[in-house]
Amino acid sequence: MIDRLTLVQKVGVYIATFFFLLFILMPFIEMIRVSLRPMSHLMTAKFTWWSEDFSLQAYRDMWKTVPLLGRYIFNSIFVASSVTAITMVVVIPAAYAYARLDFPFKALSLGGFLAVNMFTGAVLLIPLYRVLRSLGMLNTYWAMIIPGVAFLIPTGIWLLRSYLEKIPRELEEAAYVDGASRLYTLRRVVIPLATPGLIVVGTAVFIGAYAQQFLFAITFNNVREIQPLPAGLYEFIGYQDVTWNEMMAAALTGITPVMIVFLFLQKYLVAGLTAGAVKE
Amino acid sequence: MATLDLQSITKSFGSAQVLSGIDLAIRDKEFVVFVGPSGCGKSTLLRIIAGLEASTSGRILIDGVDVSAAAPVDRGIAMVFQSYALYPHLSVYENIAFPLRVARLPEPEVKQKVGRAADILQLTEKLPLKPGQLSGGQRQRVAIGRSIVRNPKVFLFDEPLSNLDAALRGEMRVELSALQRDLDATMVYVTHDQIEAMTMAHRIVVLNKGRIEQFGTPMELYHHPATRFVATFIGQPNMNLLPATVVGTGPEGLTVELHGGTRMTLPVDTATARAGDSVEVGIRPESLQLGTGVTMHLRVLERLGGTAIAYGQMADGLKLCAALPGDTTVHEGEDVGLTFAPADAHVFDANGRVMRRRQAPALAA
Repeated sequence: MIDRLTLVQKVGVYIATFFFLLFILMPFIEMIRVSLRPMSHLMTAKFTWWSEDFSLQAYRDMWKTVPLLGRYIFNSIFVASSVTAITMVVVIPAAYAYARLDFPFKALSLGGFLAVNMFTGAVLLIPLYRVLRSLGMLNTYWAMIIPGVAFLIPTGIWLLRSYLEKIPRELEEAAYVDGASRLYTLRRVVIPLATPGLIVVGTAVFIGAYAQQFLFAITFNNVREIQPLPAGLYEFIGYQDVTWNEMMAAALTGITPVMIVFLFLQKYLVAGLTAGAVKE
Repeated sequence: MATLDLQSITKSFGSAQVLSGIDLAIRDKEFVVFVGPSGCGKSTLLRIIAGLEASTSGRILIDGVDVSAAAPVDRGIAMVFQSYALYPHLSVYENIAFPLRVARLPEPEVKQKVGRAADILQLTEKLPLKPGQLSGGQRQRVAIGRSIVRNPKVFLFDEPLSNLDAALRGEMRVELSALQRDLDATMVYVTHDQIEAMTMAHRIVVLNKGRIEQFGTPMELYHHPATRFVATFIGQPNMNLLPATVVGTGPEGLTVELHGGTRMTLPVDTATARAGDSVEVGIRPESLQLGTGVTMHLRVLERLGGTAIAYGQMADGLKLCAALPGDTTVHEGEDVGLTFAPADAHVFDANGRVMRRRQAPALAA
């Protein structure tokens, strides 16, 4: 398709994009603004985009206010990464089976996975608490990892299955004729070809794991050392006041490493979401 | 040594019978082509031989050993797919080496075998490239390379040339025939293109609606088609079929009356014919000459240089096609008279079975 927008149309597109992004990014802009200003000025001044009193003081002070902050950031990434890794190990063979094999109750179980996704974690908190308690996993990393994995497997299977279905069947048949086993084919042919899809699914799972850990952390864990960042941020709420600027600074610092990784994965994400849509 | 025998192979998907009672004996070092219209079951039959699909009943024997239950790799077959099925993430070298890697051969042996295959197929310079950087014909050769490194007993080709353009297809036909001779291999080749079948095959299997219509050498099929279907499928342009009525039989053959009243005595076996039967007289376009016999209103004349293909209609609306000499002087829009030698006629009964010709040319072995 040839891009034939007139100048007016182009300007219109950019204005629309600007307002859309402004709407999406406004909370982030506010976070950055708050994190850069001293506490005393936060509540008094009117909203301005730029102010003379911007400083990075909060980014220095936050490490003293909450000494375990670094640990919390690490925990967050560690929990989300573990959830992602375990989920992918389970999802890849499962999605491949759903994409290629025929077995009884295939459609029914696939529907079941979708149904599980309808429950939010909150509904299942009490039963999960009892299960984790009887398994002796409360107040460990497992308390945050296992429920995370359980809730993300269905999404992963659904996403990856549709991607794997687009890999030509003849490639696998050719490998089969040459004597390759299912697992060998999965490892040497399917997974390399599905890499963009795997990155998409991995990213979706990681985001999911990052978002849901707060709920599991405050419910199943009260050990400070293994608390993830969203729960750790509560420590900025003191007895007297809330150091909003340091809390925002800490939140921004916590998501920065993840943001950087996503920036590099971006090209795969776009390629992965559109790959196979058009016959090449 | 590799013979391939199929014994009463059937295949049905649910209630749909795709193949019924396929019996076939393919000799060692033979190039056999399965040909037929789409949906005739030829690809399914190939996939059953390959072991990608299980037959509903029947047995497959390679070198006399029943391999019906064996995995493809244990059958000693290699297959080249229509879409080539090359692994886009692997280099040409690794694509060709894939079956050897699966078999866990040591690296020096892999190198030697891939090198030899690349040599045969003139791919040596392309080894480090990815399939995406190759042309269609080169990809096809890589797919063939992958099939020959394992020294299989039987090669299976599933419409390997249908993705290539016409010029390249002609070139690859010649290459494949030469390759078959060089490798001394048994090959089974599936195509819907009767030209590929005629040019490459030692023997052709014509399939129609899941049944073998005829199994024979190309010239046998051309001169002695067993059924009306084979007669119209083999040969380009297609054979003309003229409805006729049997008038009588005699020692010289079958006397028929064509529409329009022309009576002819055709030298064919008359054992099954009775006076009054309706039959069809088949005449190949290349057997028709200008003369007095049937009259055709010439609508289109295609001049190919050496020959000119004349398409037209008879008075009763029946379409007719004749291959005339290239320098013929007839014009579009004219009525032209056509005639044929009785010995060139094929006669098919109402069930489409042939009445065997008595004076056909000697068959090429």
